[in-house]
Amino acid sequence: MDALGLARLQFATTTSFHFLFVLLTLGLVTSVAVMQTRATLSADPVHARMTRFWGRLYVVNYALGIATGIVMEFQFGLNWSGLSTFAGDVFGAPLALETLVAFFLESTFLGLWIFGWDRLNKWAHLALIWLVALTAFASAFWIMVANAFLQNPAGHELRDGVLRMVDFSALLANPTFGTAFLHVCFASLTVGGVFLTGVSAYHFIRRTTEVDFFRRSLRLGVVLTALATPMLIGFGFGQFPIVERHQPEKFDTVGGLDGAGLGFMIQIGFVLLLVSWATVPLLFRDWVVRLRFPLYLMVLGIPLPFVAAIGGWLFREIGRQPWLVQGVLTTRDAMSHVSADQMLVSFIAFTAVFAVLAVADWVLIARLARRGPVSSDEAPVSPLVPAL
Amino acid sequence: MEGVWVVLLAFLTCGYFALAGFDYGVGVLLRLVGRDERSRRAVLRAVTPFFLGNEVWLVAAVGVLFGAFPRLEGELLSSQHTVFAVLLSGLVCFTVAVQLRSPGWDFLLVGGAVVVAVGWGVLLGRVLGGPVWLWGAGMVVLFSLHGAVFLAWRLSGELRERASRIAGLLVLPGAGFVVAAVVTAGSVPVPAFGVTAVVALGLLGGVWVALRAGRHRVAFGCSALLCALPVVGVFGARSVVTVSVMADVSTLRVLTWAAVVVVPLVLVFQWATWRMSRAAR
Repeated sequence: MDALGLARLQFATTTSFHFLFVLLTLGLVTSVAVMQTRATLSADPVHARMTRFWGRLYVVNYALGIATGIVMEFQFGLNWSGLSTFAGDVFGAPLALETLVAFFLESTFLGLWIFGWDRLNKWAHLALIWLVALTAFASAFWIMVANAFLQNPAGHELRDGVLRMVDFSALLANPTFGTAFLHVCFASLTVGGVFLTGVSAYHFIRRTTEVDFFRRSLRLGVVLTALATPMLIGFGFGQFPIVERHQPEKFDTVGGLDGAGLGFMIQIGFVLLLVSWATVPLLFRDWVVRLRFPLYLMVLGIPLPFVAAIGGWLFREIGRQPWLVQGVLTTRDAMSHVSADQMLVSFIAFTAVFAVLAVADWVLIARLARRGPVSSDEAPVSPLVPAL
Repeated sequence: MEGVWVVLLAFLTCGYFALAGFDYGVGVLLRLVGRDERSRRAVLRAVTPFFLGNEVWLVAAVGVLFGAFPRLEGELLSSQHTVFAVLLSGLVCFTVAVQLRSPGWDFLLVGGAVVVAVGWGVLLGRVLGGPVWLWGAGMVVLFSLHGAVFLAWRLSGELRERASRIAGLLVLPGAGFVVAAVVTAGSVPVPAFGVTAVVALGLLGGVWVALRAGRHRVAFGCSALLCALPVVGVFGARSVVTVSVMADVSTLRVLTWAAVVVVPLVLVFQWATWRMSRAAR
């Protein structure tokens, strides 16, 4: 494979890893913020215990999110210096805003939230988790603004051989931004909902004694999924006329990989919609737990929204080729002057490191999820989390 | 407008070296200061409240580099492709190993920290025109010194003594590195470099004196400035940052409002983290 192919493969690999962690981060932080709000308002200690248990899973997941995110950020300059040289004035702005407004603040707030457990006033601590959630979604907002510019460049002019920004508001008004952003937001809420449901169902299969704890978690998960999926599907199909108008060749050139991605995404979306709404009436008197067989489906369903998300992302990105910035800059012209050997070394290094660490992280999440809400005094999993 | 962004980029990069520098130093020294699992946990617990906040300065600095200096970003990163690839692999291993600590992973934690320190040294050496092996080793010494001083400040008892002793042992190699860096400096204008070196030696002396006097916070301030000093050297000694590599004013204007709001907020909240951890002790 030549340097260009390796660079594209490397971008696809790192982004896919990053995307998996980011989706769960967004979905879980919203759920944890809801749990902590109830814990702050109610006297029932179960809410505080739920916040602690799910919050810990969230933090462990965040660890890989930030690590893959750093590599993502550097990768633009490492492998695609033509992009920053030619379009950096416009494309770089939302990316810089993402790191400053979102990432920089998010990590600072999260650090304080973890460390401030039992130390801060409970209202200040609650405000922090909502700030973490807000900045996390702000992160998605700016990334999608940047991505929309690649799909349908707007707000720029060509001057001195490079793109210059003329109208920042045109970046935000980009038709390929708004609907896609909301679609991603509801996808992340779906991921969070399915994860809560699946892990809780696992504990019911194991006949947990923490019935109240997991009943509430399962209900939150099912309701979240049921509320998110109609919006998710709505904003998904809402993008078809936009793509038709601005990138008609995406449908014409649809190939094996992106076609399969699109198909899987749509099927999984409808399955989750139907199953979650079918489950809502079964929440009455815990029928879903008594029937038992839905519990197994819930556990098996955990990977589905992740598969759908990767499928949708492949469709959005592959159909644009050979353009990196649609109609303005080709992927080939954007590539750095880097030899195939150098590209191969970095591709192998990043992929190996991510694969090993991601598997280790998932094993840790699975172990923590399986162990359930035990008291936090025994065996703290990480020095970042002992406060939890 | 352009000047503001050069200062902001320098500030964020200095902040990263001064703050994350002790993370890496503590990583390098983990098995030397912490002789058993209990004390290693104590060592890591001293760092973790600040860990996310420290590492994210790099993310902010590179974000600003991309948004405000797009033509420098692509040039700098792609010309040092392999160094960055190795450095980032080390950084990812280190970051994840600290957060998901498990005793079996310590080789990733220590190894990752060493790789990151050597990587920054090699990059600095290339930009400043010195021998890369010297700068690689030198940055390991400076970060380790910073980490040891941090631990001497935040820990107590036997661990504090051990960290103090290690910090004391590293002052002389640090001074040796500073002198060698000046002697072997290539294309860099000597006067500016000379001034930086004198300041560096002064700070090393400050660390030594303050540690002996038990003034740990003063020593930490000195070692933090010491770690940021090479960055000041890059911005001061070389004209790498020119208007031609920067984004247009129309872009900078959009980014400015964000920086004006965010940077003070980050400073306030990170300061709150430091305040709180002191109160908790």
